Amino acid sequence: MSVWPHWVWMIALPIVTSPFVYLLGRLFQRARDASELHRARTPWRANPVRWVSLAIMLVSCVPFAAAWRDLAAGETLKLTVGIIALKFDGISLLLSAAVLALGVLVSLFSGPYIGHESGQEKYHALLNAMIGAMLGLGCAADLFNLWVWFETAAIASYMLVAYHSDRPASLEAGMKYLVQNSVGSMLVLIGIGLVFSQTGILNLAELRIAVAAGTASRPLLLAAGTLFCVGFGVKIAMVPMHTWLPDAHSQAPSGISAMLSGVVIETGLVALLRSLSVIANITSAWGAILLGFGAVNMIVGNLLALRQTQVKRLLAFSSLTHVGYMLLGLGFAVSFGQAAGAQGGVFHLLTHAAMKGLAFLAAGSLLFALRLSHGDSGPLETADLAGAARRYPVTAFALTIALLGLGGLPPLGGFMSKWQIFAAGVQAGSPVAIVLVIFAVLNSLLSLGYYAPLVSMLYRTTPSQVVIAGARVPVGMTVPLVLLAVVVVAFGVWPALANGLTVPAGSVVMALFSRQGGM
Amino acid sequence: MSWLLPLTVFLPWLGAGIVLAAGRAARLRTVLAVTFAAADAVLAILLIPLASSRAGFSLTIGGAFGELSLLPDGFGVFLAAVAAVIGGLAVVFSVDYMRGEEGQGRYYALVLFFIGAMVGLVLSSNLLMVVVFWEITALCSWALISFHNDDPKAVAGGIKALIVTGLGGVGLLAGSLAIYAQDGSFDIPTFMARANSFPPQLLALIGFGFLAAAAAKSAQFPFQTWLPDAMEAPTPISALIHAATMVNAGVYLLARFFPAFNPVPGWSLSVVAVGVVSAFIAATMAAVANDLKRVLAWSTVSQLGFMVYAIGTGAIFQSQFHLLSHSVFKALLFLGAGAVIHSLGTRDMRSMGGLSRKMPLTCAVFVVGALALAGIPPVNGFWSKEMVLESGLQHGPFWAYVVMLVTVGLTALYTLRCVWMVFFAPAEDRHAHEAGPAMKAALIPLAIGSLVTWMLAGPFKDLLLRTLPLHFPGSPGEGSGLAATWAIAAEVLTAPSTWLALGVVAVGAALWAARAPFTKLGGGLRPVRRVAEAGYGFEAINRGIVKAVQETGEGLRVTQSGLLNWNVAAIVMAVIVVLCAVWLVGGQGG
Repeated sequence: MSVWPHWVWMIALPIVTSPFVYLLGRLFQRARDASELHRARTPWRANPVRWVSLAIMLVSCVPFAAAWRDLAAGETLKLTVGIIALKFDGISLLLSAAVLALGVLVSLFSGPYIGHESGQEKYHALLNAMIGAMLGLGCAADLFNLWVWFETAAIASYMLVAYHSDRPASLEAGMKYLVQNSVGSMLVLIGIGLVFSQTGILNLAELRIAVAAGTASRPLLLAAGTLFCVGFGVKIAMVPMHTWLPDAHSQAPSGISAMLSGVVIETGLVALLRSLSVIANITSAWGAILLGFGAVNMIVGNLLALRQTQVKRLLAFSSLTHVGYMLLGLGFAVSFGQAAGAQGGVFHLLTHAAMKGLAFLAAGSLLFALRLSHGDSGPLETADLAGAARRYPVTAFALTIALLGLGGLPPLGGFMSKWQIFAAGVQAGSPVAIVLVIFAVLNSLLSLGYYAPLVSMLYRTTPSQVVIAGARVPVGMTVPLVLLAVVVVAFGVWPALANGLTVPAGSVVMALFSRQGGM
Repeated sequence: MSWLLPLTVFLPWLGAGIVLAAGRAARLRTVLAVTFAAADAVLAILLIPLASSRAGFSLTIGGAFGELSLLPDGFGVFLAAVAAVIGGLAVVFSVDYMRGEEGQGRYYALVLFFIGAMVGLVLSSNLLMVVVFWEITALCSWALISFHNDDPKAVAGGIKALIVTGLGGVGLLAGSLAIYAQDGSFDIPTFMARANSFPPQLLALIGFGFLAAAAAKSAQFPFQTWLPDAMEAPTPISALIHAATMVNAGVYLLARFFPAFNPVPGWSLSVVAVGVVSAFIAATMAAVANDLKRVLAWSTVSQLGFMVYAIGTGAIFQSQFHLLSHSVFKALLFLGAGAVIHSLGTRDMRSMGGLSRKMPLTCAVFVVGALALAGIPPVNGFWSKEMVLESGLQHGPFWAYVVMLVTVGLTALYTLRCVWMVFFAPAEDRHAHEAGPAMKAALIPLAIGSLVTWMLAGPFKDLLLRTLPLHFPGSPGEGSGLAATWAIAAEVLTAPSTWLALGVVAVGAALWAARAPFTKLGGGLRPVRRVAEAGYGFEAINRGIVKAVQETGEGLRVTQSGLLNWNVAAIVMAVIVVLCAVWLVGGQGG
């Protein structure tokens, strides 16, 4: 135990305990099934697996907090075992904060959400494993390690997306997600192979130095970078590799949709940044690539979301747009050296995780209350939301905050993170950057064209049929909504609250892409 | 005193939260709403004597977010008082108007939220805060226009307002960021002092960006289409947001930044042009509209055009004075219209008439407001409008003055038409009840205000001169108080343009009153009337843009084919595209 630094427990705990979580849940279920054979009616009791998995998540926050404290104090947090290297730096800090916070809340939310379904022990175990793998990815300091964590998280997420395996739509969504992501992972692996073949090194820090030495073949490294962009780009849902996203996000259980949009996509973004940083010195194209994808993502996401009548699909398409903003911010940082762009991009990562997480959880609460609790496995349509605010005031208000925040209206978090990105773009001074900023602002305005009608629908006076017949929303689902809503408003009113996370992460990004060696 | 500033801004927000928390307790909610609104009105008035040209409150957030700084100068305290007082009166009016309606908690919370944001907007001396409060007022405006969410017209009107004002808001956002990029700070006084050291092209871009934002917010040409559709909002909201406060934000923006952008070639002329065109076409559309609130909406656009015109000619004081008069009499007219609509249940003027006997008080106050709108002495609208015209004649282009003079005549025409159709036209006997006590409590102070606010001219001018050295160089001199007012009044009465304008008013009124012989001519003008009713093609442009965007979205759906092979093929194609891009952009160097 004392061999490993304490922060490694943050990664190890959720992964190592996940088989035991599964076992525990399974045993409880078998005991219940057995007792039901003997007695006709046994009162329903919640499977304790939900509390166990939540407890593990909460315990994992302790080493995270310790790591944050140490990092803020200026320590270097590294662990090298053979060729496997782990490092806890600013980016790891921000990603871990987002993953753990959203993970805890989704864990709490999922308890009642799938509490009546069979196979919930698989869900909780896989959720924990996915979270652990993402935490590991955030700390990865060599390419092999990075790819392994990436794949582990992906595999866990495939099974979570197809959780409702009795529904053909879920299976189809999971299948497409699996195939497309595997293609992406394969491209990344080829890219890693190319880099390894040229330098013989996998450690990120050492690779930077080796590449800067200039002995590697430039065309092959450029090809590797391309493969990283597209390979990780599938996970990040860059257009045109995004086609798996609407199906996966809308068919997955709502807690998983929240995780997917909120943190899994962003994990891909972090992986891309780490791997591109290795070959940052050899060309200035990466910034332009990020900016180009960002611009395309914004407009395609908006236009496709505009015509949606299913709530979760609409939110999924809107994730494309928000990935666009993040790419824009990071592109400003890489292309024009704007630190505010890096900070804004990672700040948007945080606010998007909070807002999109909140939106999916609120939509999930309504889906649960209006359809799932009656055994209806249909999707939540926008027409179903009519008049929901009178019966479900807290849920509707939380969804309103999420949607208006995503639309970039103050005093909510989305406005502040977008402002920081736009400020970076204008500060860059280049006409291209300013045109991109104006394009982004117009896109933000366009997005209101589909967020605002949803909010209007919520506050109608005549409720829809499903609202009239709807069930109650359990407390376990309302608590995460309230907490996330508070976070969204807090970031909007006092954006400096995030500085403890965004400033270290931003400076790491700037250092990764600086033209000198180092890092 | 520095705590008074943030308190005036955030007290209504606290009230909004408390009203929401009050849940279904209707009486408690109403009492809370009125109390908070009234308290804020008192606080805003208390700010007036404390006006100064230095920042009163400052809270640093840091980095790209600047600081929250509040500056109680002449523009700020004056508009804050207008917003808070008229806000309070609108809340009082709503007690009767919204009685029995669903969602009152949401209504009062949004109104209070709006009042706080409006006060914050005008008191902020930091550009980020200006943008934040600007967007919050847009949010409240949208939410209140589509308050009756079940009515598709209301929902559409709300979204139209949000998007059109947001389009202009792009100019404000981009301009503010450009100032930050150049100056390194969001502080407005800093920018104003250093504006002439900006590169001329950059300053021009910022200036026209701000002009676009102001034009969109104040429903000026070419962004005027949203205001009439915003009339789907409950009438107290139309009075508060779309007549007396939010639409003034554009005029406020132009007035505040005038010294910085005036030197930009073509800027003040563009401002004049925007104001003149808006004033004229809006007046023509008011003359053909049959919906009572639409008439008032177009008349708001027209009067705002007067204010914008005044700013373009450099008459900052006159524009603000007309803003004061207009806020009072337009709120009066809207609330009076609200009483009529609430009583009859319709907004169509063709089904009104004969109300002068059934609703005597409402008729009386409405007539006072109408006199102010038409510009007939001694009501406040006369004095301020004459000052605008006089200054326009002296400092502005002559063609603009002529068009504005014609607009004055048109204003008299449509005002008389409106009053006639609502109150005096012969109509069959129908049930109409007089305004309720809460409505009267709001209408009477506004009517009195319309009669007396012109007397504040002297002290108001002194306030502006004292606290805004950049806008009004030179010492105050003339002394404050009523003596200065009499001096200003005398100046207005003896100016020849005043009598010319009064003559035009008389012509306009006469044209309506004696319209019978002109009906044949009116028949010939029918194509013009149809064009005017269709909004001169702007509605068609709006619809065209919306349709194009939706069809593009619909067209893109083919990309989501659902066929896995195509999806994977897209990934492979992306590799090829990115590879080419990297080669092209990266080149040979690194």
